[in-house]
Amino acid sequence: MSKPKGKSAQASQTGIYNPESVKDVAESLGISNLSDTVASSLAADVEYRMHQVIEEASRFMRHGRRTTMTTSDIDQALRVLNIEPLYGHNSFNPPAFRRALPFPQLPTVGPVYFVEDEEIDFDRVLREEKITVPKGVNWTAHWLAVEGVQPLIPENPPAIPRDTDQQEVTKSPPISNTGFPPTPPSDRSTNKKQQQQQQQQQQLVKQVLSRELQLYYTRLTTSLLPPSDFAKRTAALASLRHDAGLQALLPYLIRWVGESVVNALKDSSDSDNDGKVLEVMLHVVSAILENSALFIEPYVSLQFFTIQYLLNHLVLQLHQILPPILSTLLHSFLPPSYATLLRTMASQTLSRLLTQHSTTYPSLSPRIMKTLLLALISPDKSKNTREGAIRGLIGIGKEAVRKGLVEGGGIRVVGSDCTPGESSSLVNAVMVSGLSFYAFWNSDPERICMLGRTPCVATPF
Amino acid sequence: MSSTSPAVIRSSGVVSPPNTQDASQNITTTDRLVLDYLRSRGHKPAEKAFLESLGSVPSDDNAGQSENLLSSENLIKNLAIHVQKPSRPGENLLKEGSNVLKELTAMGNPPTVQNLIANIGPVGAEEILSLDPTDKKEGFRELESWVDGSLDMYRPEFRPILFPIFCHFYLDLVQHGFREAASSFYYTFSPSLLPMHHITLRHLSTLLLPSHVQNDEVAQHFRNEKYVVKMTRSGFSLLVGWLIEGVGGEAPGHGDGFTGERSKRGRAAVMRVVNNHLRFDVTSTTTMVSNSAWEESTGLLSSFVPQTSGSVSSPSPQAFNALKGELKLGPAPIPEELRTETERVLREQAMVERDPGAQYDLHYSRPAAVQGLVAPTESDLLPHPTSFKAIDIQREVEKVRDARKRIRLDPSVLNSTDLNMVQNSAAVRARGLPSICAYTLHDVGEGAPICAFSPDVTLMAAGFSESYIRLWSLKGENLQALPGNDLPDSIRGEAGTTSRKLVGHSGAVYALSFDPLSGSAAPPRYLLSGSADSTVRLWSLDTFTNVVAYRGHQNPVWDVQWSPIGIYFATASRDKTARLWSTDRASCLRIYAGHLSDVDCIRFHPNSLYLATGSSDWTARLWDVQGGSCVRVFIGHQGPVSTLAISPDGRYLASAGVDLSISLWDLGSGRRIKKMTGHTSAIYSLSFSAESSVLVSGGADWTVRCWDVKAAGCSEAPRENAEPEVPSKSLACSSDLMATFSTKQTPITNVHFTPRNLCLVAGNYVPVDYR
Repeated sequence: MSKPKGKSAQASQTGIYNPESVKDVAESLGISNLSDTVASSLAADVEYRMHQVIEEASRFMRHGRRTTMTTSDIDQALRVLNIEPLYGHNSFNPPAFRRALPFPQLPTVGPVYFVEDEEIDFDRVLREEKITVPKGVNWTAHWLAVEGVQPLIPENPPAIPRDTDQQEVTKSPPISNTGFPPTPPSDRSTNKKQQQQQQQQQQLVKQVLSRELQLYYTRLTTSLLPPSDFAKRTAALASLRHDAGLQALLPYLIRWVGESVVNALKDSSDSDNDGKVLEVMLHVVSAILENSALFIEPYVSLQFFTIQYLLNHLVLQLHQILPPILSTLLHSFLPPSYATLLRTMASQTLSRLLTQHSTTYPSLSPRIMKTLLLALISPDKSKNTREGAIRGLIGIGKEAVRKGLVEGGGIRVVGSDCTPGESSSLVNAVMVSGLSFYAFWNSDPERICMLGRTPCVATPF
Repeated sequence: MSSTSPAVIRSSGVVSPPNTQDASQNITTTDRLVLDYLRSRGHKPAEKAFLESLGSVPSDDNAGQSENLLSSENLIKNLAIHVQKPSRPGENLLKEGSNVLKELTAMGNPPTVQNLIANIGPVGAEEILSLDPTDKKEGFRELESWVDGSLDMYRPEFRPILFPIFCHFYLDLVQHGFREAASSFYYTFSPSLLPMHHITLRHLSTLLLPSHVQNDEVAQHFRNEKYVVKMTRSGFSLLVGWLIEGVGGEAPGHGDGFTGERSKRGRAAVMRVVNNHLRFDVTSTTTMVSNSAWEESTGLLSSFVPQTSGSVSSPSPQAFNALKGELKLGPAPIPEELRTETERVLREQAMVERDPGAQYDLHYSRPAAVQGLVAPTESDLLPHPTSFKAIDIQREVEKVRDARKRIRLDPSVLNSTDLNMVQNSAAVRARGLPSICAYTLHDVGEGAPICAFSPDVTLMAAGFSESYIRLWSLKGENLQALPGNDLPDSIRGEAGTTSRKLVGHSGAVYALSFDPLSGSAAPPRYLLSGSADSTVRLWSLDTFTNVVAYRGHQNPVWDVQWSPIGIYFATASRDKTARLWSTDRASCLRIYAGHLSDVDCIRFHPNSLYLATGSSDWTARLWDVQGGSCVRVFIGHQGPVSTLAISPDGRYLASAGVDLSISLWDLGSGRRIKKMTGHTSAIYSLSFSAESSVLVSGGADWTVRCWDVKAAGCSEAPRENAEPEVPSKSLACSSDLMATFSTKQTPITNVHFTPRNLCLVAGNYVPVDYR
């Protein structure tokens, strides 16, 4: 009290409740000459009383087993403090505070909020249709844990892959107070991340699928991948080809195929293993296509930009059925011993897919053709990609070969790529296409040579 | 100043041994307040005795002179304020000051008074100058930097001193009217203390006027009671050294600061608080005070520990609990006739059912005396009818059968084997962890504060904020009312439903309890409910009507529980009392008073001899049901105690607080066994498994957690008490947390173990958009 000067400025900082508001209230009651000291004392007291009410209300909130304070808590707090409660507020209709327009004549006031008091027109309310009474309280029961394990049912939240982390944390010595954050070695962390990713995938599968299907899925995928023997693989493929009731697994299978293909293509080391994987994957795709009990049309649809993306990077992320086929077809570095086989298979699968589904998706074959053409013609593609494109065109049909090689100028590009006297698989592909073309055009191979005007085609095969 | 400061220094030397503490406060604020209180209440003899005791102190102490000087300094300080602002209305401080003078003359100690009056003249002006609030700030800054600069070894034990000194400085500033200084002091220094003491600090920060300090409970506790701080001998001598000389701890860069007049005044201010308001509990050992020990033995203990007739020198909960002697915690005896009858029925059933397992039932019917616990005799029990009914036999038979068919939960297997072996772990977890069935309430309007399961799990009841109770049959049977004089069911529209609505309360229903008489053998016949309308109601489950309303509490009833033998029940209320009732009387039988704040939760001991209460004064207590006296006090929580559970074997009390921790207490000794942390929000309910081996907790963080009771708690690194760190959400989980099961946005309001060790939990689903 010894420093009346500059108090108001400080007081506005110290308390939440502003002495100016006290003065405003006083003025509204007809007291105009309220001194600063009194106002700030009153403001402090008002603040204290407010805190008192809030503290009391928080007890009611706690006992109400809530973490949000409601107007009824405040009401009850006022009641036990022997103050008349504020009527007209209920927790279903929380008051909306609105900000008033700033007062230009009183810049020190700061933002002013007020509770909007709506006027209700009875006529209008009566005319409006009646609101149905909500259904009463009801309950459901579910197993939160069965013998210490939380079942993965929709009622329970999805498991967080934090468990493993927690275990590791508990095993690692508790963090000391020295302030050094434990820095794990980098390779371990990436490893862990991969593990987590895998785990998440697994959990995604587990959530929706029944136990039997999960089991089937793991058996199927393990028996298909290379370390397994031929008999097992054939059995698995046969099962895929003929078994009904795999519809629920379909998205996961297709995703698995897509990821396996990406993984096999991503590391450019041309190992036999990758080739095997790719071969199996193509088998899987054709098996899925053959299975009459599966409805795969939604997965056939191919978006334009994905193709674009595919061709630019030849790495794919989308788990749909075409990308694996096309990337096998067009990838530049297939394992050499498998390359021709794989490309042929891919083109066969593509042709099967088109014959089956081009009726439902009329735009499908033009779009694929465009993709293949781009791969064939654009200047910065490798020979292997070109070969794949040609084989793909063969798969689509003779008309496509014609368009691609002759009208699109594909043969010219191929011709310029190939050095004379070279006998590559690309040339083979062209020859094969030529054969089919020949059958279609009923003309001799020389015509193709003429069209291409390249000597290479003339080499006998 | 020149005359006072040496006196102060000398007096501190006197004060430092803890036992001569009382001698130093001759006419301090404390005494004056006590005197005022006694006078206002008209306790003439007590007042006289008090004055005599005050008067006698200086004569038997050879350092009396210096103490007088010290106290005179206090007095003058107080007088000076009144002189400074005599014009302020509404503060009878001046009167108070003159009171002191009157008292002094009444004491009949003329040399002291003369001395005092002589002092007023020359020192007064200087003191008025010294009252400027900067000394507090300076003093606290010095103290904090000294504590932070001290050796790592001592820092944990010095940290707790900061908090009481902070509080007293703040209260001093507010009381002297330096509001701006007080709030700037608060904002400067509170951040480092907030993580540990945020509840108290937030409360104190709301006090802004001298009148608030005088009326506020927490502030008055601080003012009137000694704050106990535990310290080792060496740490204490270092502190004394610092207070006197300004040395003794390492305070780099601050050594020269002590020569200045300002820092000297600051230190004097610290010393004043230390002298007047702190009590040091100096341990003889030189080992560090552990964190849990710190929680149990620091604070305003004298108010929590009830005064005993034999004068105890230092009010420590341990001493109090030891003084109260041994408790009879064993299982309640079963009347011999009831037991033989039960055995006969069991034998007959075994014959009829040809159940080979039934052979062993007889073994269960005699409760094995728990080792190390004294079992009560028949005469110790609460009065109850000597004859028994058919339902009693059924209950006992069912109890034996439950014991046989129970799923045995043995969490120790979890620790012995390696959890990483995935194949193994499922089987191992099944042996250690319970199955949990969750009951989720949907479309709850304003909230359902309580959910309860009947002992035989045929009924579930929920109390709502909208003042009604709803009953559901969990077996899907229709709840048929017996024909009575009430409205027929057909009119009420509830004829063929599996649910019933009980309407009668006029405030939110906070507590529900099913009568335990029929046990797991048959559906219960009565339900008790406690509500915000401060009544407790008894509902008949035969007619689904309200039978009795028990009025007596003046404030909302927070908790209700039946005693294990039926007939009696206990209530906990906001009016700081717990009460014992009998169903056939409208007024209460016992009032258990002693808590300093709301009694939030109440539980009976399984043998019904004792009653445990948890309160918002951060303590839990154990009461003798018949005698009405407090027999144990459990201090250690750092926030209100929200829920309790007593283990079925009668040994342990588990209490959970707003401080997000669960404490396990040994009832026999009153000591804390361990503290379990891991919850990230308020804990609403606790329950022990039938063998008392697993504790399950549920709370507002939407999780149910299972704790191993027998395992040792985590050996957490000694946390520094007021480490200036943000209270992180990921609190360290203690190692005895066995499993966490989370729900989808369902705060768990009740967890319940059936006699066969199936765990049931209930909560109301909170939709995402509800805010």
